[in-house]
Amino acid sequence: MRSVGKLPAILVCLLALAVGGPVMAQKAAQPAQATTQGAGQKSAQPAQSAQTPSQPAGKPASEENAQPAATEATPDAAAPAATATQPAQNAPAPAQDAAQADATPPAENQASEQLAKAGEDLKKLTDQVTKTKDDDTALAELKVQVDALAKQIIGVSVSTRPRLDEIKARLTELGDPPGEGQPAEADIVTAERKRLMAERGAINALTGEAEGLSIQATKLSNTITATRRALFSNTLLKNTEVSTGMFDDALTATADETRVLSRSVGSWLSFAWNYKRVPLLTALFLSLLAALVFLSGSRRLFRPLIEHDITDEEPSYFRRLSVAFWSTLIPTIASAAFAISSFLFLRGFKVLRSDIAPIIAITLGVAVVVFFVTRLAQAVLSPRDARWRLVRVSDRGARMLMIAIFAMALVNGLDYLFGGVSEALGSPVVLTVVKSYIASIVIGLIIMASAWIKPTLRKDDSFDAHGHAWPRVVSFALLATGALLIIAAVSGYVGLARFIATQIIITGAILVTMYIGILTGRAVAKQGAFAETAAGRYLERRYNLEQVALDQIGLAAGLSIYALVVMFFIPLILLQWGFQVADIESWAYRMVTEIKIGSITISLVGILAGILFFALGYAVTRFVQRWIDGNIMARSRVDAGVRNSIRTGIGYTGVGLAGLIGLSAAGIDLSNLALVAGALSLGVGFGLQNIVSNFVSGLILLVERPFKVGDWIVSGTTEGFVKRISVRATEIETFQHQSIMMPNSLLINASVGNWTHRNKLGRSEIAVTVTYASDPRRIMELLSEIAAAHPMVLKNPSPSVGFTAFGDERLTFELRIYVADVLTGGGVRNDLRISIYERFRDEGIGAPFPVKIEDVPVEDQTGIESHQPEKVGEPKGATSAEARAAGKSAASDRKTAVAAPLDEERDTEEAGNRRAASRRANPNR
Amino acid sequence: MKKFVIALLSGVMVTGVLAAEAASAATVTNKDSETAVLIVVEGESRVEVAIASGATEMICPSGCFVTAPSGDRIGLQGDENVEIVNGNVVVK
Repeated sequence: MRSVGKLPAILVCLLALAVGGPVMAQKAAQPAQATTQGAGQKSAQPAQSAQTPSQPAGKPASEENAQPAATEATPDAAAPAATATQPAQNAPAPAQDAAQADATPPAENQASEQLAKAGEDLKKLTDQVTKTKDDDTALAELKVQVDALAKQIIGVSVSTRPRLDEIKARLTELGDPPGEGQPAEADIVTAERKRLMAERGAINALTGEAEGLSIQATKLSNTITATRRALFSNTLLKNTEVSTGMFDDALTATADETRVLSRSVGSWLSFAWNYKRVPLLTALFLSLLAALVFLSGSRRLFRPLIEHDITDEEPSYFRRLSVAFWSTLIPTIASAAFAISSFLFLRGFKVLRSDIAPIIAITLGVAVVVFFVTRLAQAVLSPRDARWRLVRVSDRGARMLMIAIFAMALVNGLDYLFGGVSEALGSPVVLTVVKSYIASIVIGLIIMASAWIKPTLRKDDSFDAHGHAWPRVVSFALLATGALLIIAAVSGYVGLARFIATQIIITGAILVTMYIGILTGRAVAKQGAFAETAAGRYLERRYNLEQVALDQIGLAAGLSIYALVVMFFIPLILLQWGFQVADIESWAYRMVTEIKIGSITISLVGILAGILFFALGYAVTRFVQRWIDGNIMARSRVDAGVRNSIRTGIGYTGVGLAGLIGLSAAGIDLSNLALVAGALSLGVGFGLQNIVSNFVSGLILLVERPFKVGDWIVSGTTEGFVKRISVRATEIETFQHQSIMMPNSLLINASVGNWTHRNKLGRSEIAVTVTYASDPRRIMELLSEIAAAHPMVLKNPSPSVGFTAFGDERLTFELRIYVADVLTGGGVRNDLRISIYERFRDEGIGAPFPVKIEDVPVEDQTGIESHQPEKVGEPKGATSAEARAAGKSAASDRKTAVAAPLDEERDTEEAGNRRAASRRANPNR
Repeated sequence: MKKFVIALLSGVMVTGVLAAEAASAATVTNKDSETAVLIVVEGESRVEVAIASGATEMICPSGCFVTAPSGDRIGLQGDENVEIVNGNVVVK
């Protein structure tokens, strides 16, 4: 096939020579004519002719020549071009030309015919390539044909070169056309020049066409190579035949590639330096600036995170972990950012050329990856400083492992780098295969060799001790992996070997980083761990945070490290496995916008938006509540109860609205809620009845306001101050400061006593007992006086005294007083009793009983006690403390030794104490 | 570690340089007094090659098309010696 491809080219050359011969002979005759004419002209105008050649600006002259030639050529060239593409019309054209003159030499016709044929061949080959794009062998054969065709096309244009040279030589002989004001030259000269120019244009057009075809052919050839390379890289289990011939080919290809590479890089550099110096320097300067910002900036900014603290004698495990993680992650991100920005600068200033850009891109990419792996190995192994080592290996072992890992990363990186270069330069696939073959074997050998490193340490060995061999499992695994790689490569599964090698190095490195990151997150989230980190200490110092708050921050920090690890490294691994960025993007997008479970679609974004709207609505509600309460109602002196009701009402409405908005923002159809509500109403009928009734009762309490916050209410056995009226229950605080949650429905259904409903006016009574020896009128007078004298006893309604009972050996009176605030009743009563006691003592009015010294059984006491008129002024159910206090004071009022009412406890001991107390208190004794 | 890297890198570079030395291609010499810019179409890339006055460059080892400053286009097989004279490409 190759010889067949070359044959036409040789034929064309021969033909061209054969045709060129007579033409040259013809021309050889013409120049003589022309030169004589030219000589005549020159002799006629020596000054002019002297000027023409001496015009030092050969370039402007040639440009002028070239410009018209180009412009003229285009219309003229259109004809041959058209004939070339449509061979059918080709036949009459030469006939015409022959009839006109021998203007278009046969060499050009031949060349254009050849080109037309080459074009057709190229088309056919393109079709074949598309058809057999999965067949490596067929593609390899097709590539040979395409390359031959490309050579042939160049050959066609080379064959027109002699004719072009002749034309140029003849044109030089004819000289430039006379300028204005110069005598006209002979018509025949003008005609010949015109003809020659036309022919030159035609040849140029033909070459241009050949150029286009050649580009197409090369493109096709490169497409084939790319397809084959993709077949090689993507088909893991493809067996490549490994033979010595392959290595020979690869060697040749390597030499070629190196040459091409150095030439394109060299020419690019010289081009960039000569013509784009300013953009190149600017881009380099900006790159350096970026390096300064990213590399040293990050180092400076995160110094405590990524640098070993030399003064730290024994860094904690957590500290070592976090330093390892951050000292891998931050410099890697910084260097990646630097690489990307440098590339973008170079491209932005248009310094890069299409053939150089991919080479630079892959060089930067490989550099970043190798840097990452090395950095990670350094962080984990810390070969220089044993204290910061994450794994327990010996100093020497760490160094050796470091070298092994670095070498593997470098070999793998170089494999990819050279692969990228080959791709950019369109080198043969065999080169990629051989490179990967060598790289896989080298990596396999390194892995096998690392099985002999002796890094492990016994429990009490120091780091500089001589290490011991790997555990048997590890060394066997290393040997097996290395052997697998080598066997795979040698037996022809080079693609597989390369894939495995890459996975071991890159994915392994990423996984190790992830693991360290997760360990760091876990360590931070541990109780009390965050407080010991630098950030924790700083926060503690700066904001005076409590231990609990620090712990919560630590938990959040741990979770965010997890999130960072997952969000950063999982895409990285996926990318590494050949997924495209667009795939990952669309996955991530779908993940947050619609997760489909059966027919239900959940949108994380929607739910977040719902929560956000709800929070917003809630905040607005609270603000409105505060504003209305604090500004409008406080100024209008609205009753506190009403204020509370309105505030609560606004709160319910606002939260309800915010909930509805949040639900619809979350994408939950409110009409679906109707269904739920229907189902709920059934449930409400049975199970939720109480809750709903309490809720509705709460609303009624807010509207009807039988009591308000701060009221002193009595309901059943519960008595106390209302603290809060909430959705389900009302909080009542008893006098003992016990909070009682009373369901709202109870407060609605049962009778509720309110001491402070409309006003706080209240009546208090004090019972007074005296002996029959006393004058009742005098007593009543005294009592009235005492009541009137007290400032807090209301004059209207006025206090009154009642003679209430004749008891055994005693008379009972009752003083009834009104106080403005029932809450102050206790204090007022106390004051009055003291006054009564003092006054009676002064007046000599005795207590009803002589003091009984002898012990009286408790039962008897209670029997007597039951006859005693209880003090009625105290609200029933008052706290036992107050009751006790009241009881004591009552006992002293009565001036009896046994007047104290016994407590619920009926403790005899206490009773005895009381007796003693009343004995002491009795003045009549 | 550093020595290791340096040794590797220098090895790679030496290999590259040695391989590059063995290059053979069309040589272009600019005989004009001004820098000439040739448009070289090789493979699928169109590259502007600047040749300073008097300088010699190696271009297209495996055949290419060259557009001269004068506007003429010629095909080169890759083993020619080419001179640029008055903006014209002259194949020797």
